[in-house]
Amino acid sequence: MKIQLLAFASAGDAIGASETAIEIPNDLDVAGLRVELGRRYPSLAPLWPRLAVGVDGTIARDDVKLREGSEVALLPPVSGG
Amino acid sequence: MPHHLTEAPIDTAALLAKVQSPGAGAVVLFLGNVRDSHAGRAVRGIHYSGYRSMAERSLLEIERALAREHGALVRIVHRLGDIAVGESSVAIATAAPHRAAAYAANRSALERLKSEVPVWKRELYADGGEAWREEESLVP
Repeated sequence: MKIQLLAFASAGDAIGASETAIEIPNDLDVAGLRVELGRRYPSLAPLWPRLAVGVDGTIARDDVKLREGSEVALLPPVSGG
Repeated sequence: MPHHLTEAPIDTAALLAKVQSPGAGAVVLFLGNVRDSHAGRAVRGIHYSGYRSMAERSLLEIERALAREHGALVRIVHRLGDIAVGESSVAIATAAPHRAAAYAANRSALERLKSEVPVWKRELYADGGEAWREEESLVP
């Protein structure tokens, strides 16, 4: 299935794009997605420990299932203010 | 639809007008301004980027939660894009019948913004270098 991947700040630098559509296995959850993206983008490795994953605009726990067309965001630690 | 994010300089008079009312005896305005140095290195500006849809919703949630907790009216504006030293990147206006609630809600709004809102700063140094500043991990 296809998802829309958004990558912000250092995560965008690491994958070389701020937005891209990618094909992933059906029925993947967030934990599975981390493994899948880790394979696809080895440059994310140093970021994973502090990277949150947003699904359709909400920070998602590892057991959240992804769906066709989900908007998935890679969110490094924030620094607003 | 409330606009919490803007590329333009922040209009503090307009922001204050949104919280002031005859019943609000205390009004607090906080401005977060771009500083000219970080850890001893000269800074010429900061580039802010954000996950717009989520940041808008997150800021609205903070305003509503603080209104419930403190009985204060809260309005937050965060600027995105390149911001020069001395200009404001964030403004928070709070109003309440008395000062304790207005101060407390204002302080709390900034602390929550810093740990919950998907906005990132990239420091632009006077020597031409640049670096992301990534500080507070988002949690589910």
